[in-house]
Amino acid sequence: MNYAIETSGLSKFYGDVHAVDAVDLRVGVGEIYGFLGLNGAGKTTTIRVLLGMIAPSAGSACLLEQAVGPDGRGPWARVGHLVESPSAYPDLTTRENLEISRRLHGMADAGAVSRVIEQLSLSPYADRKAGTLSMGNLQRLGLARALLHRPELLILDEPANGLDPAGVVEIRELLAGLAREGVTILMSSHILTEVDRLATRIGIIHQGRLIEELDADTMEELRAQRLMVQARDLSAAQTALTAAGYSAELDRARESLVIKDARAIAAPDEVARLLVEAGTAPTRLGVEQENLEEHFLRLTGVLK
Amino acid sequence: MKYFTSALWAETLKARCSKVPLISAIGFSLAAVVDGLFMIILKDPEAAKQMGLISTKAQLMAGVADWPTFFNILGQAIAVGGAIVFAVITAWVFGREFSDRTVKEFLALPTSRGAIITAKFVVVAAWTMGLSLLVFGLGLVIGNAVDIPGWSQDLLRSSTVDVLGAAVLTILLLPFVALAASLGRGYLPAFGWAILTVALAQIAAVMGWGDWFPWAVPALFSGAAGPRAELLGLHSLMVVGLACALGLAATYLWWQKADQTR
Repeated sequence: MNYAIETSGLSKFYGDVHAVDAVDLRVGVGEIYGFLGLNGAGKTTTIRVLLGMIAPSAGSACLLEQAVGPDGRGPWARVGHLVESPSAYPDLTTRENLEISRRLHGMADAGAVSRVIEQLSLSPYADRKAGTLSMGNLQRLGLARALLHRPELLILDEPANGLDPAGVVEIRELLAGLAREGVTILMSSHILTEVDRLATRIGIIHQGRLIEELDADTMEELRAQRLMVQARDLSAAQTALTAAGYSAELDRARESLVIKDARAIAAPDEVARLLVEAGTAPTRLGVEQENLEEHFLRLTGVLK
Repeated sequence: MKYFTSALWAETLKARCSKVPLISAIGFSLAAVVDGLFMIILKDPEAAKQMGLISTKAQLMAGVADWPTFFNILGQAIAVGGAIVFAVITAWVFGREFSDRTVKEFLALPTSRGAIITAKFVVVAAWTMGLSLLVFGLGLVIGNAVDIPGWSQDLLRSSTVDVLGAAVLTILLLPFVALAASLGRGYLPAFGWAILTVALAQIAAVMGWGDWFPWAVPALFSGAAGPRAELLGLHSLMVVGLACALGLAATYLWWQKADQTR
């Protein structure tokens, strides 16, 4: 498989602090990869290493099958990026800021700036100095800069930062559209619902280590509802439910039975009646849906 | 070359759209204006006595109102004032990328970091040389307007070498200011460096080894402290060249190798 991003044992140490620790990341061409982590987990450091802004202490990174660095080398004509908070030259207009990017990308197409201004809904602010832009419009300018040269790979750190709800939806649709055109996207975000809606795969980084990757099936499973059953005698309850044709699995950590059958979720009262008749009445019965946020928080130790 | 031209265009636009060129031009022009004021005072001793501190200072620095003295003060002002004003310009060109947090926007581009840094140095050199020429030209206009004696074509030729030579030597020492702005990721370390070198240059000159201390050479070259041939040698120009080369090499190396976390 061709990978747009491939890292091998990528590490960055600051003395005893392992900011990024042996991260093996593989993002396939055309994927939208959500990169999740708490503050200080190593997301931005990883992104900076991928972009050649920070030299790794160990390991290597390849973007679009070209090694990154040393000395800032990389396939930058084919990569767009937005790192941390957006920034721009405050004395220059939105158009001038983008014009600088166009020229530094060596693009001959002078119309590219106007097109990306239109694409990011920045037309009313095109001739306004960047220093007067709101946070949201500055974010749009940062995204415009990342998209200007129609890159094959987008590396975006918190792309929805500072955007209003309508802007968040707009950018989500924009990114989804780009992905449909074959653009690979790696995006970090704190807005887990955004990542959940957009990403085709998710990586969770914690204390510098990539601790879990969720593919589309796992994410779908996370979104699935389940009936959680607690009883004084879980073994007897499981036997009764299995005998009735339910697939009740024991979740020892939560001291519960988990039933994923659609009929159990649709009619939990039936399950309750069955257990009462079997002499092992439920002490708790509830339909639950674990979302990405809960999964993420539990994985990172925030939720016990 | 295409990428260097693009980087130069970008750096020129950034400078053109800011107020710093205008402020630096006005500020540096004061050197010629004050020089002219000294000449006015020195031309009329009676008026000078009534002018208190400025008159006293003018007497200390100059003594007579003539073109050699005028050029002497101008050269000193460009050498010492330039060390500060040119450092402010260099600190702004390099340090603003950190203050505006725009540095991360030019680290992963087809245009190499080297091309961008070269463009910055070219803009700094053109800007500071332009300022030096502006002040020298303004000085000629003011000197003529004040109507001081002692003009000759030979004096103009030698003073052009003194004043603009001092400016070029000052400019050659700016890479270390760029390095300080880069290492310190902002304006302040570069300002600190400039003030430190001006102070050390004074000490070096007083102690008699200014000819070996690069940052003392421009003021000594301007002829402000006496005949250049007695104060400087070829080795003095070589230490300035060496400082320039070291500063450039260290700045380029830093931009290639340093981790950029802002």
